Parts: sequence; C-alpha cells; structure tokens
Amino acid sequence: MNDVVPLLGIETEYGIIREDQADSDPVEESMRLLARCEAKSVFKAWAYNRERTHQDMRGFQVSRLAQDEEEDEFCEEDRKRPYSYWEMKSDRVLTNGARFYNDHTHPEYSTPECRTVFDLVAHDLAGEVIVGDCVRIRNQELGGDYLQLFKNNTDYSGHSYGTHDNYLIPRKLPFDTWVQQLVPFLVTRQLYAGAGKVGAERKNEDGFVGLQLAQRSDFIDSVLSIETMTERPIINTRDEPHASQDYRRLHLILGDANMSPYATALKVGTTRLVLTLIGAQKIETPFELADPVADVQRVSRDTTGTVLLKLKSGKTVTPLEIQEWYLEQALKHTGLSDQTEEWDWVTREWGRTLNDHRQNPEKLADRIDWAIKQSLFNDFMEAEGLKWDNPILQSLDLEYHNLNPERGLYYSLRNQGDVAGLIEQNKIDDAVHRPPQDTRARIRGQAVDQQRDRIKNIHWTGIEFTNGEYLDLSGLITKEEVGQVLNSNKEQFAWK
Amino acid sequence: MEMNDPLRREEKKEPTPDRKEGGPSAPDVKRPGRDDILKRMKKVDPKQSEKYKQRTGQ
Repeated sequence: MNDVVPLLGIETEYGIIREDQADSDPVEESMRLLARCEAKSVFKAWAYNRERTHQDMRGFQVSRLAQDEEEDEFCEEDRKRPYSYWEMKSDRVLTNGARFYNDHTHPEYSTPECRTVFDLVAHDLAGEVIVGDCVRIRNQELGGDYLQLFKNNTDYSGHSYGTHDNYLIPRKLPFDTWVQQLVPFLVTRQLYAGAGKVGAERKNEDGFVGLQLAQRSDFIDSVLSIETMTERPIINTRDEPHASQDYRRLHLILGDANMSPYATALKVGTTRLVLTLIGAQKIETPFELADPVADVQRVSRDTTGTVLLKLKSGKTVTPLEIQEWYLEQALKHTGLSDQTEEWDWVTREWGRTLNDHRQNPEKLADRIDWAIKQSLFNDFMEAEGLKWDNPILQSLDLEYHNLNPERGLYYSLRNQGDVAGLIEQNKIDDAVHRPPQDTRARIRGQAVDQQRDRIKNIHWTGIEFTNGEYLDLSGLITKEEVGQVLNSNKEQFAWK
Repeated sequence: MEMNDPLRREEKKEPTPDRKEGGPSAPDVKRPGRDDILKRMKKVDPKQSEKYKQRTGQ
C-alpha cells in the first residue's frame, strides 16, 4: 500500500540580530552566519533555474509576486554591497539532504524529505543543532555572545517570517476538494500547534492584551493565495511539487515554529492524517465556516478552545468541536496508512491533548508551546506582581525561542526536565549528518558526502554533475523507487 | 526509528506489558521548581523585544 501522503518536510526561517549593534544588518549577519557553517556541504550551487514559483494550483500563472518586489529591492541593495547574489543567498546542501541558506534576510533550514513524522521531527531538531553551531562559531569569531538567533515567527512589530510545513499529495483529486475539507481543520489546529504569542500585531482593533495561541495568526489575510509575504493565506496555492506531475506539494504557511518537538509531531501528524482521510475520500466535513480568515484570529485569541465560530448554515461550532470531529473520523478509518505506529501515536496523543484541553488545560503545560508559556509566564507574573501588558512579557516570549543554550527559556525547561523531549538525542545527532534512509534525500545526501566536488548544481529534484550527467530525483517518491535506484545503475553512479 | 513515550508512561499507574504502543517517548517529566529559571527571567532586558527588529520574510 502506498501512502496517500508519502513525503513531508518543514522549512524554518530564523530571526537574527546582533545585540551589540543598534542597527543590525540581517543581510550581512545571515551571510556571515552561513559562511561559518562547518558542516560538509555543497556551497552556492543551488539550481534556481529549476524553481517554479509563479504557477498557481488553480490553473493559472501569475506574472509577479510580492517576493519578486522584495528580491528586486534585495538586488538593488545588493549592487551597493561587495557581494554577489550567490554569496548573499549562501545556499548549502548538507550530507543529511537538507538545504540551509538565506531566504529574504532570514537564515532558513529546510529539512530533507522525510517519510515519517518522527524522522521529520528529528530533522527539524537537527536543524536547530546545525544553526546553533553556526551561531556559536560566529560568536567565537566576534569575541562574545553578540549574535542571537530565534526560532519564532514575529518581531512583535508587524514583521513575520515563516515556518512552512509541506506535504506531497496526489494530484488526481481536485484542489477544491482538498481546500474544502481541510480549511476548518487548519483554522483550528492552532489549539495544539500554536507556539503562543504575548500581545497582538496588525489586526488588533479590539485591543487584545494577553497570550494568544499562535504567533502567525495575526498575519493570515486570505483563504487562498499564491503570495507568501503579503495576503498570506490559510492554504498557499503555489503549484511547485518538486516531484512528478502526479503530485501536488501542499505548502502550508500559516503555522508556527514550535520549540516543543511534541507539538511539531502533533501538528504535522494530525495534518498528514487528515490529508490521508481526504485523499482516500473518507470524509466530508460538515463545517463550512462563514469567515475562516477572521476565525484564524478568533481562535488564536481564545485559549479555552470554546469561542463560537459561525457556519454558513447559521449554526455555530467551537474549535474543540471541529478538532474532535476530525479525530473521530480518523478513529473510524484506521488502516489507511503504512505508518501504523505513527497513526496510532497521532490519534492517541491527539485525543489525549484535546481531552486535556477541554478538561484540564493546565496539563498541556508539559508539551504544547502556548501552554508552556502560559504556565511559565503566569508563575513569573505572580512572583513579580506583573500583568500581561508589562513590556517584559514580550521580551520573555522572545527569549523562549532563543537558540542560545544559556539563554533560551524553552531550552532551560527542557534541560531541567520540565517539558517532554520526545526524540532521543542520538536520533537528533544522527540526523545532523545522515539523511532519512527511505527517501530520495538519501541519494542527495550521499552525493554531497561523496561527490561534492563533481556537483555542478543541485536541487530537490535532481543533481547535475560537472561531466554533464544529470541525476533526476523528481520521480523517486516511494521507498521502493528510491531502493530501485540505489540497487541499479551502480556503474553509472558508482558512489551510490 | 525506535521510540518510547515518557508522557504516556508518566500517566500510567500500572505497566501494561501486553499492549505495545507505538510512538516516541522522552524522559519522565519532572517539575523540580522554577526558582532558577524565574531568577533568570528577571534578568531579561524588558526592552529586548522592542529592539528586536526583523524584516518581513515568507
């Protein structure tokens, strides 16, 4: 049986700042950070000519994107700097199959393609290790802990940067079907996927003060859009599968960067599970939200999960009820995936988390980021006699996401055993160097490890060698397809 | 990937050796008190988030 959703990936843009400079230059700092990466890699050889960012899932092509404007501006500034575009992008492809580069002035770590949620979480955490190592080396060069990086999604002043979760799904089902069935789930998954944010940005006509569920929810402006820097959507419509035309890559940009690996696993695991139900045509959602975009913010600002959302039918439903319905469907349809261990874990923990949310929400404080923050910050406010509107709360919120092991509040809680770790350290250490063994990332990673001097350019979909050979990875989706390539053509690619 | 689940184990009062539950686990969650971390939080610059200016990303 082939999985409906065979591959998964996460892209994380990190926040970056020099604390010893009043006007920190993110372009300069990001470039210098990438330059200090000591991981074995192919450097500045990303095949940008294989990108296809302007094709829309709805069957048309757009001529311009907001990111083009930003890139133009970037290039304009570039001309004033003593660096080439390639130096500033600083693309690295690593032996674990990941991509690490600068995207719109943010260091970005894109995991390799993974087949299981637990592999993906290990690789997401490996990204923190790799990026953190670069910060440490750069600070040694600077002579102090001046450079700080944050795995979060906002600067609290209206600027957001993304954490995108990606799912390969079959193209044969109409895109509208995916959208219709998925939107109510995505609007409400922040109940456990939200990283928590103190205060509000942009849309704050009601003067919200306090902790909301998610960092990104203030930045969602539409249901569908191909844009990623303006008019950010619940579902991004960029049609760039990085695979054969039998597939779509569902590119979700509404999610948060989770520090808790449990939350990452639950976010990606439940999303994959719901996509599997949709792809297998097992569900038909009864929920048609009247205003899903407004509901993204509405859900985020109610940590109880019981705010009433209006349906087009005129009835109302709560976020918890929507999530409970999707869980119920999953429990009715076991056996749809090869990943039975993962399916069991996701349904079990999904149920436990929703139940805790409804019955004993304080129990979420050992594994769900917003609830961890709520518990920690409540303790601090009680000790110091503060309220949510005190400015230090946003600074503490930011510090929760700091990658510096001496400063990061999440890391402190983890180190003292206050939160769940989920993935064993040896699995994370392994993922720093080693690609998943059952996806095409294995071939990419081995090529980087063993043939990097022969690589002319490289991309998710293939590798071009200096002798003109091209290794097409776009059709290698299943474990069997990957194995077949590894077991054949050995003369052509002896290094495999 | 070998996995175990500390959260589940913590909640179980009795071991259930006949039931194989998939999924990862982590060490038993302990709550030794937050005095140290609360002290560290007091030292955080209240203006840190105000100084933290980023450019819009994707």
